[in-house]
Amino acid sequence: MLPQHLVKAGLLTLVLVIAFVMCWEFFLRQKGYSVSYDDNAALWADKRKAVYQPTDKATVFIGSSRIKFDLDIPTWEKRTGQKAVQLAMVGSSPLPVLDHLAKDENFHGRLVISVTEGLFFSTRGREMPSEFIAFYDDWTPSQKASFQLNHLLESKFVFLDKDNFSINNYLSELPISERPGTYNGPDFPWEFDKTSFERQSLMDDRFMADTNLQKQVQNVWAGFAKRFRGGPTTGKTLDSIMLAIKQSVDKIKARGGEIIFVRPPSSGPYWQGENKAFPRNVYWDKLLAITKSPGIHFKDYPAISNFVCPEFSHLSPKDAIVFTEHFVRILNEKGLISGKQMALQTPHQN
Amino acid sequence: MLFNSYTFIAFFILLLLLHNKTSLPWHVKKFNLLLGSYIFYAAWNPPFIILLWISTAIDFIIGKKLFAEDNKTRRKVLLLISLVGNLGMLGYFKYGGFLLENFTIAMNAMGIDYHAAQPDIILPVGISFYTFQTLSYTLDMYYRKSEPEKSLLDFSLFVTFLPQLVAGPIVRPNQLIPQFKKPHTANGQQLATGLFLLTLGLFMKVGLADSMLSKSADSVFGATNHVGSLDAWLGVLAFSGQIFFDFGGYSTCAIGIAYCLGFSLPDNFRYPYGAIGFSDFWRRWHITLSTWLRDYLYIPLGGNRRGELRTYTNLMTTMLLGGLWHGASWTFVVWGGLHGTYLCIERLLKTKKSPTDHSATEQLNPMTPPEGMVTATASLAPAFFRKKSVQNFFAALLTFFLVNITWVFFRAQDFPTAGRLLESMFGLVKNGSAILTNLAIIKVSIVISGMVLTHWFMRNTSVLKVAQHLKWWVISIVWAAMLIFLLLTQESSSSFIYFQF
Repeated sequence: MLPQHLVKAGLLTLVLVIAFVMCWEFFLRQKGYSVSYDDNAALWADKRKAVYQPTDKATVFIGSSRIKFDLDIPTWEKRTGQKAVQLAMVGSSPLPVLDHLAKDENFHGRLVISVTEGLFFSTRGREMPSEFIAFYDDWTPSQKASFQLNHLLESKFVFLDKDNFSINNYLSELPISERPGTYNGPDFPWEFDKTSFERQSLMDDRFMADTNLQKQVQNVWAGFAKRFRGGPTTGKTLDSIMLAIKQSVDKIKARGGEIIFVRPPSSGPYWQGENKAFPRNVYWDKLLAITKSPGIHFKDYPAISNFVCPEFSHLSPKDAIVFTEHFVRILNEKGLISGKQMALQTPHQN
Repeated sequence: MLFNSYTFIAFFILLLLLHNKTSLPWHVKKFNLLLGSYIFYAAWNPPFIILLWISTAIDFIIGKKLFAEDNKTRRKVLLLISLVGNLGMLGYFKYGGFLLENFTIAMNAMGIDYHAAQPDIILPVGISFYTFQTLSYTLDMYYRKSEPEKSLLDFSLFVTFLPQLVAGPIVRPNQLIPQFKKPHTANGQQLATGLFLLTLGLFMKVGLADSMLSKSADSVFGATNHVGSLDAWLGVLAFSGQIFFDFGGYSTCAIGIAYCLGFSLPDNFRYPYGAIGFSDFWRRWHITLSTWLRDYLYIPLGGNRRGELRTYTNLMTTMLLGGLWHGASWTFVVWGGLHGTYLCIERLLKTKKSPTDHSATEQLNPMTPPEGMVTATASLAPAFFRKKSVQNFFAALLTFFLVNITWVFFRAQDFPTAGRLLESMFGLVKNGSAILTNLAIIKVSIVISGMVLTHWFMRNTSVLKVAQHLKWWVISIVWAAMLIFLLLTQESSSSFIYFQF
């Protein structure tokens, strides 16, 4: 026998849930939060399917978080007249994605590979790329439809932001001590990383204005440095990584694809640490030599060599625009990209 | 498509409107349901819909012939064709790689240098479920338990009915086909009940299994070295909760969706972790599978009618094959074997306790709750522990403990992993690594304690019975809390564990 009063209960439930959603959404907007997309496998897969455009129509970017912050996609698209397909993943090595693109016979476009040495010349940071690639390979019609519906909702509601406003995120912020031998995970403030639908990462204005928030992220990097004390990859492991990169690059080039490496800016102690741990001649120069590919290292170009990253590792949105403008100009000057003729304003640097 | 996806929500709203709010003829509504079910299935992998059609066609045609045929040999040939057709597809897609791998190992063990290419076979979602469902129809025709279905539309809908198509409950022909014979649409009460159950099922799946437990279970079972004893136990407990909330959640959704369309499906779970003993457990866990195995395997093998030894053999055979049904791996066979062993021991103890009580009917394991079997009733024990309810509670806890041992084999990807985990659980290694954070420990402890207590206190009732006696506004608060929890969980649409079976 079915309960008699569920209809009445259901109606009140509907009212309660709608009231809660409205109040919660209003509260978050009042606090200054805005729409940010979940940087999940579905969003990545949506961009991954866009890699098949020719080199005069689109450029594909892979890497770690740095290129996600540093490449200002609207600026790129405005200056080059081409789409920017952002496939970089935070905290991850781009090599599984490079391998995936190399094995994809239909990909023969332009690929910009961003190098963050600690992740790039390493066997770490491959879980997320593997998971996202598997998702893309098995992307069902139902998941594709769900993604479109989700996009519609995410573009309207601030509270639909799993990284920041989900129950598990709130639980992770409880003052619970760290168990010896385990890691509670990094504590990034919401203001540090908003994600656009094009997968660009952006720091919020409040992050730029609040040095405490910047300090919080700097502490996360310091925690990472303590946690991963294994030192840089060397010897045979490094050789095998270089070989794998060369093989992938050769495959793409053999199909008519173009490869460009880029080393985006970092600053302060972060840059000092990277420069010391990964001497340029052993890593960057060797990478370009082995793959016989062009590369843009930020330290080689005065216009992009002296940015001050708010938390040492990523550019602010304003600097990302400046960096992107110069990046396009440098690529043009080197004949690596045939973009629109730009009337470059004098960029403002920090 | 998954119940926990936006696609399904949109699809379901359309289907509900089309089914409940239009005045189309009943056969058109049934056709819409069938078409909707095919779309629902094709949303995963469209070509696999052909397998559903083959299975439907084989059993519809052969079922009719089987019922009408009197010649014993011809009947057996017809049955064989159906079994080969259905089990052949299941065998190829689910067990092809497993068989080839074991064949290769056997060849190599005999000194024959044999290497086979790795088959790249994709497992069609829910194939084990709909194969068993159609098999039950053919076997019913063979044993002439019911009349053959005349309408291809009704039979196709029986095979394909979307709520239970991919992960059960495994429905018998007589439970569903008669419902297709006359118009069924949901009234307000059924719709509200269905939506309430759908919310509850999604809360179990998304809110508890995915959000609170899956990461802890995954990290412990994914560890490549020994973990600490606390981590090992919590990882296994997390999985015990995850598998229940995942699968129980799916069944609850399925029953709810059927209600929304005006149909009813059988219960598949009745608070299994409140079970006292293993026969009780199997009367509460995946009920439609255990009754299927009882009716179409255990009883045809002879059940408990051919002496004690044969009964134990039948019990073990049934549970071993039940284990293999879950997956093409020896770890699932061991899982089934452990449950078979528990059932045999339980039966043995009961037989010793009351040797004259052999009246048990044909059940998978004909046992009554084993009071006295697992709990000492020493007269020296304090009065509190001599209370029957307290003894039963501890018996249920012991059952839960033993069930957890079996989950190690069910979840572990291989025997070395299972072995490492058992060693960690029973303190056979020192310095196992700590991998669960304090927050994970708190989450697992709270959810699992809540689950076990809920199962204990609800073991003789049901959600709908409890809801019957609650104030409407109390139900509303609970219902809204579940929905709000779901909204705030924001877990992405992860697949249900039982889809892979």
